[in-house]
Amino acid sequence: MRAAVLPRSAVRLIGPLTVLVTWELAARFDVINTLLLPPPSKALADLMVLISSGYLWKALYASLFRVVCGFALAVTVGVMLGVAIARIRLINDFFDPLVELLRPISPLALFPLAILWFGIGDGSKIFVIALAASFPVILNTFAGARSIDANLIRASRSLGATEFEIFSGIVLPASLPYIFTGVRLAWGISLIVIIAAEMVGATVGIGYMVLEAQQTFRTAACADGCCLGTERRRTD
Amino acid sequence: MSGAPGQELVRFDRVALTFPGGSGRSPVEVIRELDLDVQASEFVAIIGPSGCGKSTLLLLLAGYLAPSSGQVRFRGKPISGPGRERMMVFQQPALFPWLTTAENVAYGLKLKANRGDGRNVKETVAAMLQLVQLEGFARHYPSDLSGGMRQRLEIARALAVDPQVLLMGEPLAALDALTRRTMQREVLHIWEKTRKTILFVTHDIDEAVVMADRVVVMAQRPTFVLEIEEVRLPRPRLREDPEVGKLARRLSTLLE
Repeated sequence: MRAAVLPRSAVRLIGPLTVLVTWELAARFDVINTLLLPPPSKALADLMVLISSGYLWKALYASLFRVVCGFALAVTVGVMLGVAIARIRLINDFFDPLVELLRPISPLALFPLAILWFGIGDGSKIFVIALAASFPVILNTFAGARSIDANLIRASRSLGATEFEIFSGIVLPASLPYIFTGVRLAWGISLIVIIAAEMVGATVGIGYMVLEAQQTFRTAACADGCCLGTERRRTD
Repeated sequence: MSGAPGQELVRFDRVALTFPGGSGRSPVEVIRELDLDVQASEFVAIIGPSGCGKSTLLLLLAGYLAPSSGQVRFRGKPISGPGRERMMVFQQPALFPWLTTAENVAYGLKLKANRGDGRNVKETVAAMLQLVQLEGFARHYPSDLSGGMRQRLEIARALAVDPQVLLMGEPLAALDALTRRTMQREVLHIWEKTRKTILFVTHDIDEAVVMADRVVVMAQRPTFVLEIEEVRLPRPRLREDPEVGKLARRLSTLLE
């Protein structure tokens, strides 16, 4: 008889399942303090409540809306600015020192100011996300647009391309691999920033939900919020 | 229209070029005083010591650089910038890696089409790919092609916009010896079929003698034309031909 071989995907589940089962058992047999670290079963039960009450959707919607707006702003402005800084001398001289000056400032440090400027609602979150996420887009787009073989641009110019055709037909596609790297980084940063920002000052959102659960000692809801706040990305 | 053979197409008139210095670097005088005429449909090879500025000559003619003094004229008019009538073929092919072989060839034609001159894009692309023997690779990307094929594709892309002169800056230097000889035949074949004027920079004296109507010998930097040798040997010429060898040896003594 042939030995049954588990498919690879099933084998890869063994690790996480072991941790979950150990965690559950440790909680059941009072090895860990369940008040501080609730078992997975309790977290799941609380998640059901959060879902059925509609509270979770409200928080998720609020957070995602801010992330998508801020992220979209960062990508649009970042790509345009990155290309312009790389290809136009005058814009480079103006913006390059500014970017270098502003980049080291933690965008979260600006959040209290952003609340004063844009209020406690969506505006202040979208602003800090857009700010924080635009830097990797600008810098990667810049690197991409700078690394283009000068002969590609020469060739297209000889073939009759105008400045705009060179930009849209050569500079943009040639920088695309770099731009995508920047965009992926920007997405990760957006998710980190939204949770932190909502913990500092918000009335709704996943970050706010986690903080509120912590302050009322509902650690299970806390854990749920943490899972929802993760950046889902395949590492391939 | 490529101009009748024997008609003057390109003229370098007392051309000098000095790159200005700045930030601690002294100015570099690349070309001292250069006079050169090229006729329509002529195949001119340019040889010279490495770094002498022979490729700079092509950049001036392509319109990527402007001379510090003197004039480069094309059909009697001073050159003011890049243009379709003067196409460059680079040593490292400058193909658009995100476009297929056919799309690379079509690129210049589509730019023309955007300006209302969109005749026969498909037909021209097919004809060009056939000319450089890449018909079977229309849907391949440049990264799928060998070095020789990329070089042929670059020639096809340049020829697609029907230039009057092809500027070839050491186009075969990066190829292995065997591919190189095949490509020499290919370039000659393309030249015979299209009768485009070709300026061909090389550091290989044999290559120059085997291929060109005239060989221009350039001096060390700051460069000028040292000598122009007319090659009157019948084609096809072989490197092994003693007449070719004799001429090549004579030219190489000039370079020492």
